[in-house]
Amino acid sequence: MRKTALFLTLLLALSVILSACAGGAPTATPAQASPTSAPVEVTSPPSEGKIQLRMMMWGAPEELDIWKQIVADFQSANPNISVSVEVSEWESYWTKLKTLLAAGTPPDIFAIDAPYYLDYQTRGVLLNLQPYLDANPHVLDDVYPQTLKAYQTAEGYFGLPRDFQTIVVFYNKDMFDAAGIPYPSPDWTYDDFRATAKALTLDKDKDGVIDQYGYATDLWDMELFWSEAIWAFGGEIISPDHTKTLIGSPEARKAWQFIYDMMFVDKSMPDSTTAAQYGGDLFQAGKAAMTTIGHWAVPGYAEAGLNFDVVPMPVGPAGRATSVNSAGFVIAKATKYPDAAWKFLEFVISPPAQTRLAELGFACPVLKSVAESPAFLEQKIKINHKVFLDSLEFAHMKPVFKGYDEWASVIGDGMAPIWAGEEADLNAILDEIIPQADEVLQQYNP
Amino acid sequence: MEAGIKPLGREKVWLWILLAPTLFGLVFSAFGALLATLGLSFTEWDLFTSPKWVGFSNYITLFTDKRFLRALANTAQFAALYVPGVVIISLFVAVLMNRAIKGISLYRTMYYLPVVTSAVATALVWNMIYGKDTGVLNYILKQLGMQPVCWLCADRAMLSVVIVNIWGAIGEGMIIFLAGLTAIPKEYYEASEIDGAGRFQQFFRITLPLITPSIFFQTLISTINAFQAFDYIYMLTRRGQGDSSIPVVVFSIYRNAWHFNKYGVASAQAIELTLIVAALMAVYLWAEKKFVVYE
Amino acid sequence: MNNKKIEKAILDIVTYLLLSLGAVIMVTPFLWMIATSFKRPADQFTMTLIPNPATLDNYRSLFNVDLNFPLMFANSTVISLLVTIGQLLTCSMAAFCFAVVKFRGREALFAALLATLLIPFHVTLIPNFIIFKWLGLTGTSVPIWLPAFWGGAFGTFLIRQYFLTIPRDLVDAARVDGASLLQIFWRVYLPLAKPALAALAIFTFQGAWNDLLHPLIYMPAAPNTTLTVGLAFFQQQMVLGGKFTILMAGAFISILPLLLVFFFAQRYFIQGIALTGVKR
Repeated sequence: MRKTALFLTLLLALSVILSACAGGAPTATPAQASPTSAPVEVTSPPSEGKIQLRMMMWGAPEELDIWKQIVADFQSANPNISVSVEVSEWESYWTKLKTLLAAGTPPDIFAIDAPYYLDYQTRGVLLNLQPYLDANPHVLDDVYPQTLKAYQTAEGYFGLPRDFQTIVVFYNKDMFDAAGIPYPSPDWTYDDFRATAKALTLDKDKDGVIDQYGYATDLWDMELFWSEAIWAFGGEIISPDHTKTLIGSPEARKAWQFIYDMMFVDKSMPDSTTAAQYGGDLFQAGKAAMTTIGHWAVPGYAEAGLNFDVVPMPVGPAGRATSVNSAGFVIAKATKYPDAAWKFLEFVISPPAQTRLAELGFACPVLKSVAESPAFLEQKIKINHKVFLDSLEFAHMKPVFKGYDEWASVIGDGMAPIWAGEEADLNAILDEIIPQADEVLQQYNP
Repeated sequence: MEAGIKPLGREKVWLWILLAPTLFGLVFSAFGALLATLGLSFTEWDLFTSPKWVGFSNYITLFTDKRFLRALANTAQFAALYVPGVVIISLFVAVLMNRAIKGISLYRTMYYLPVVTSAVATALVWNMIYGKDTGVLNYILKQLGMQPVCWLCADRAMLSVVIVNIWGAIGEGMIIFLAGLTAIPKEYYEASEIDGAGRFQQFFRITLPLITPSIFFQTLISTINAFQAFDYIYMLTRRGQGDSSIPVVVFSIYRNAWHFNKYGVASAQAIELTLIVAALMAVYLWAEKKFVVYE
Repeated sequence: MNNKKIEKAILDIVTYLLLSLGAVIMVTPFLWMIATSFKRPADQFTMTLIPNPATLDNYRSLFNVDLNFPLMFANSTVISLLVTIGQLLTCSMAAFCFAVVKFRGREALFAALLATLLIPFHVTLIPNFIIFKWLGLTGTSVPIWLPAFWGGAFGTFLIRQYFLTIPRDLVDAARVDGASLLQIFWRVYLPLAKPALAALAIFTFQGAWNDLLHPLIYMPAAPNTTLTVGLAFFQQQMVLGGKFTILMAGAFISILPLLLVFFFAQRYFIQGIALTGVKR
């Protein structure tokens, strides 16, 4: 039995290695049918000597169009390189990406969410970009340093950010006006925030069911609120060497208690079962007066017809804090055209591409000059975009470490019963899940 | 079950030609994949680097992995509720449908409708039906003067999910049982009537024994489906990033393979699931010999 | 005699009542899906079955999206048809052998075939992908429909059970007439198996149509993929924003072809069920 299994494993390992050597050639993709409204031609058919790159990312259908335009710009500047763009929804994206990587035929360039970066980098599937950066030392000059931190490793950069996200507070102006409450001031505190949320939680038709919540957010992933709260109360998420989970410290527990009280004492936040009825985002559904989220939500909120603006995260007992995260691009080590792929990455971080991204409105450009230009600040949807940039000053980096997905699932799954109202003992749950989370860390960061 | 026709001489070729596609699929596709999964279950594979041999350690951790044990318990509980539910209800429906009354075809079509849909699409409607404050069910309950129920909250979620799965499978069972019921010769009923048997006696003495083949088929298929159920359960109970309030084993396999980069563990879980269902199949096959009546 | 008639009448009424109650439960979710798809977004939680006012906006949003739904629809249709044909053909061929022909190892082979039903497919995804990558077939739809042409446990099981109910005297008579094995399969068994074939066709078509994972990993990204993948791509934003009216419109469009196939094929097996068995 052992021999057969061993033989099979070797066979499989051999097949993976063999396919990695033989593979790398872009799969035969028939020219994608161009949507009728696209003003620009997509990829030109490959001709003799033309390099064909494959780029994959997650996103919304709207982003597909803008990226095709960016690609078209790139192709006109580099006529011997053609890039095919594939956009998928989040969940499907990772499934497909990992399947391709497992079979040894990854796309040449693909998008990465910063927290997952080390899972890929430490496993040797990414191309080291440091040689290119050393040869072109000014590429990163104008990039916000806070967005680069996640991609720095001992051996250099293996990926670069293409846009960043900071979390700010969005508020529904109509709901504030209707309740006669002044808009939040930039130097408000957590207590102000809590009071405001309570004042905006209303049962309009007096039927015992709350119709409008003061504040709503998703609490499974840390990025939207609970990491910021912990930082603002003086706690930390994880130790710098990534071996200890720190969300159970006294300061952190104060933050958790704050959230818990908002949800179950003030009842200004909906529990997860109630929230699920309205989809994932109650602010967008018009059921919440405030939410904390990043710039990616702006186009959707505008399309939903909401009258909103933004304000920085409130000041906590230990100061002001928010989270900074980014979507980046990495190049697969198995690519056949590393130089061409690098050219594309370089183009994405250059002003023309960053300007198009700014106009798209989903995220903040990583290039300072573009972010502080009218292309971003005066974009179509009229809100105070500068808040997102200013928030960088007090932003903590969303943790990046090997095993992030599994670690986050221990915390998220573990806390979920609290937010669903099934468990009430916050401290007991924390005591239970933190050792489990540490176990996961031990596996990957011993 | 009975002996069949023997192929004559050169006809043997045709036998193999007819069987060839299935044999090919069996050997190269199904068993190839099964063996690969088995092999991988003895390794640690993160999909990016080559698999590392770890022996039985994946299997050993299955016994201590709290999340997997919880998924297993959920799966078993789901099956225990779902299988009897769907078999009994669809049998009952089939018996009703077997009567010669006008418009029966229309009814049969309506009962089969839930089978012919996409679980992902229909789960969206069920979310709207089960909503605590916004759902149709609670609205009806309120109109009837009763208390609204939180259908998707922890204590009731399992039952709600079982109901949806049964709803989606009644039509199939109904057809299976109908085929079995109509195969029972009318003479048996006529003869028993002459002997003075009432309807209940007819059901238990004639009908039930003679549809045991259908009950066997339906129970077997439903059990397999129960242990691999995923779509409705996930769509109704999901929360956060790929989490569910009622994780089942298939869900755990999916997460380990695609989220946690633990393909070896996922393979071990898949093998364990297969073994459990295989054991149940063995029990069913033994029961078939004892209880199922073939003419 | 009169008592019998009254008894039957009462039972008939009870039957109608029970069946009707059940039918309401069976059908309401679909009615709700259709109703919601015609409501204005602001009215999505109203409790009316007939939207007032009704709107086509939700469907318009679907077609306004830049995703070339017609292409994805065509892909889904072609692939699902190929899968269905493959299964109907190869499963009935194998079922005939298992049900009717005597050969050594028949029971063992059948048990082995059934065993394949137990394998959860999430884990077999990658080994199969690697094989198709070797064959250079990734990036096409071939890996999705080709396996349908080498049999399937469920289909073979279903048709085999059905074949077992066909009386043996028909076969004996055909043999007397000098029919070969192949002719018995093609001329005797296959025509009689219409209800089972129709049921399998519906089941297979539906499975292929709803499949998300296989088109996802084998075919290029939207829009050169199947409708299921395209809808998942499109719907992620809708779920987040709680836009149920648009979601319902998308859901309804996605199951419409299934319903059409069903209404076409159900003639053969919903009504066909009543005809079988009486042949004794």
